[in-house]
Amino acid sequence: MALTKSSKKTSPCVSSSKPPSRWLIVWAGLSILIPVLLIYAYSAYPKSIKIGTFELKKLQEIQDNDTMLIAIDSNHNPLAKSVIQKTDSINTDSMPSNARVDMSFIGSHKSFIIPKYEFPQTTDSTKYRIILIGDSESGGLRYPLNDYCFENGHRLVLSMEWYSATILNFGRSDTIERIIARYKPTYIFLVFGLNELYAKDLKIRKNAADLLAEKLKGIPYAWIGPANWQEDFGINKVFKSSADTGTYFLTKKLVLPRAEDGRHPSSKGYRMWMDSIAVWLETEAKYKISMKVPTKRGRPFRSSIITLNAVKFRGY
Amino acid sequence: MDTNWLQGVLSPLTKPDFLHKVLAYSTSDPWFFTEFSFLAIFGIFLIFYAIFIQKNTWRKVYIIAFSLFFYYKSSGPFLGLFALMILSDYLFALLIQKKNGIVKKILLWISLSYSLSFLLYFKYANFFIQNCNELLGTSFINQDLFLPIGISFYTFQSISYLVDVYRNEIPASKNIGDYAFYMTFFPHLVAGPIVRAKDFLPQIIAPQIINLSLYKESLLRIITGLLKKLFIADYLGKYVDLVHQTPSGFSGGENLLAMYAYSFQIYFDFSGYSDIAIGIALMLGYRLKENFDNPYLAKNITEFWRKWHISLSNWLRDYVYIPLGGNRKGEVKTYLFLMTTMFIGGLWHGANWRFVFWGLAHGLALALHKLWKQIFPSSKETWYSSLFGTVLTFHFVGLCWILFRASSFESAFVSIGQMVYNTEWLNFTGFWISRSSVAYLLLIAAFIVFFPQRIKEKCFKLLLRLPAITWIIWIAIALQIVVQFKDDIVQPFIYFQF
Repeated sequence: MALTKSSKKTSPCVSSSKPPSRWLIVWAGLSILIPVLLIYAYSAYPKSIKIGTFELKKLQEIQDNDTMLIAIDSNHNPLAKSVIQKTDSINTDSMPSNARVDMSFIGSHKSFIIPKYEFPQTTDSTKYRIILIGDSESGGLRYPLNDYCFENGHRLVLSMEWYSATILNFGRSDTIERIIARYKPTYIFLVFGLNELYAKDLKIRKNAADLLAEKLKGIPYAWIGPANWQEDFGINKVFKSSADTGTYFLTKKLVLPRAEDGRHPSSKGYRMWMDSIAVWLETEAKYKISMKVPTKRGRPFRSSIITLNAVKFRGY
Repeated sequence: MDTNWLQGVLSPLTKPDFLHKVLAYSTSDPWFFTEFSFLAIFGIFLIFYAIFIQKNTWRKVYIIAFSLFFYYKSSGPFLGLFALMILSDYLFALLIQKKNGIVKKILLWISLSYSLSFLLYFKYANFFIQNCNELLGTSFINQDLFLPIGISFYTFQSISYLVDVYRNEIPASKNIGDYAFYMTFFPHLVAGPIVRAKDFLPQIIAPQIINLSLYKESLLRIITGLLKKLFIADYLGKYVDLVHQTPSGFSGGENLLAMYAYSFQIYFDFSGYSDIAIGIALMLGYRLKENFDNPYLAKNITEFWRKWHISLSNWLRDYVYIPLGGNRKGEVKTYLFLMTTMFIGGLWHGANWRFVFWGLAHGLALALHKLWKQIFPSSKETWYSSLFGTVLTFHFVGLCWILFRASSFESAFVSIGQMVYNTEWLNFTGFWISRSSVAYLLLIAAFIVFFPQRIKEKCFKLLLRLPAITWIIWIAIALQIVVQFKDDIVQPFIYFQF
């Protein structure tokens, strides 16, 4: 190695009668100790240092994960005291009451203002205007959900499939608000998380999940957890802690047949999954909804479909 | 000054369990060189080291005490076992030195059996039970065994010491303190490099003088190691983990990139660890031998094993291959000895047939290369033959690493199968867009690995010219880079488990 060769020329490698410098060793110790202490001190510092748009991370943020999961287990909201950051473009106070919503925003970078929209109260407990929003899982779940909607008189008005999307896309962007404003659902199905089972930056995702829960306030919803293909690092706990009590369906407890890729459920798996969700919606969910088992499967799918890809479109 | 902030900084120190946390051991959460808590305590250790530096005995006692504490933090009560091994080695070596003939040989075998018994029991007992159950239909129950940290490394050191004394290559250490120092020296204690007594014992009596250039060199090694391990290896490791969870869910191209990523990950992981170990030892005045020498630039598999994990391959050569007969007993036996050596090398890495097959694949490749050299002894080396040799060797080694990394044989074959049958090369564009950070890091890793050695040497020399006072800043920057990319769960050193 280069270092060995170069040092052999420069350093007296063999013992000599010259005593070693104590101060140099003290300085060597300080050279390691001081930077480590600085990193710890910065972690405890209430503000963050930014160099342009680049923010220096803190060690504490990384170490907080375990603490946060423990707090979630104890039913505490670890971010309750922290300010949930919203994207600048959401400004509900300045919305015109008659704001017109156009779906052309999808795929464009046009600025968008959320319209003032009062979500209808759930007075009719039998017929719902449903939208399904999610990652690639929603593409498989929409067909059995469509069958259930047919059977129970609900209307599935939209299935939005946002490939490769994570809570960061759903929580931090305005996309969901735009969809809600456009389709005016009375019940929302959310299903995602398959792309972030291995995520360990849970504090960031917790923040995004809280943002999403804020967006959903006032409208009944069912937040369906990801169909785990491996044990997650706590993302299910994070989602569950952000969702309202009784609105989160823990899919990971189910054993579902998988497609060839080993990760997504197979078509049979999606049907089994929806059957389990339906039982939960009728019996345990906070926002109960009629979900009788369909007498006929494979109904024609006539709802709108929006397909996005998080690789190209990360949301606003 | 913000008093709340100060309270926040000092709060860990005021917690009632602070001392307990510092002093207690945790087998599930061993103490790595990359832990910030280790670095902080090592910094304090160095400051007090200045007091003992001029008195060799106190210096040794101080380092042994810290080494034992370091081992205790990872392995707790197994420290007693380790101490027992040190004591028995010391006594056996003195006896072996005094005796001659058959008695000397018997003493050697007893001492080797005793040293090896710990490793065989803790590492291979369950492997033996499982294979017995499958082959003989028995129903022995697996033991709940904890593998003491670093046992594979210090057992090999113990063997080398006993054999060297038996061969009269070194005198038995008369001072138990010296031998304990050699065995417990914390920089190499848990994951090597495997240090030979004949290289290290003389340094205990006459350690190096710490001067400015040594100080800079040691810090540069520590910084390089931290960045290699925590920045490059761990980040690539995330992608590797993702693919190897379900290789069937990824295209052939993605599996191929995972193979490259793992090849780089294991190199940066282990060579990064070795860099930190060498840097820390150097800062204390002791020089450990290099463990890597640009292994992926090797032109053939024989050269690869001269450059990869040098301390292990030299150990296997000197204490297994040559004692078996080496190349002195005819061609056929030479190949057999090579395969046997690599079989043991594979098994040393883990009690699993995947590691055995990995070792045998390398053994076969070494034998084939030897055969090739015999058939074409005077084949001329051109730049294109060298390039072809390097590319071929790298890919062979990378392919074998799949056996190393995969969770099972089946998973390894699925990964290789995807590379062959499900290529989807066009997906590289998607990969580049969706995993751009992994793609960039792969390029950086490849650049570092394949960069010409002489330019690397020049860069290191230039860095060593930086004023000593600035090194505190370079350490701070390196640590912040680590924090910037650090995961909450740091991958343990891959070689830590062996």
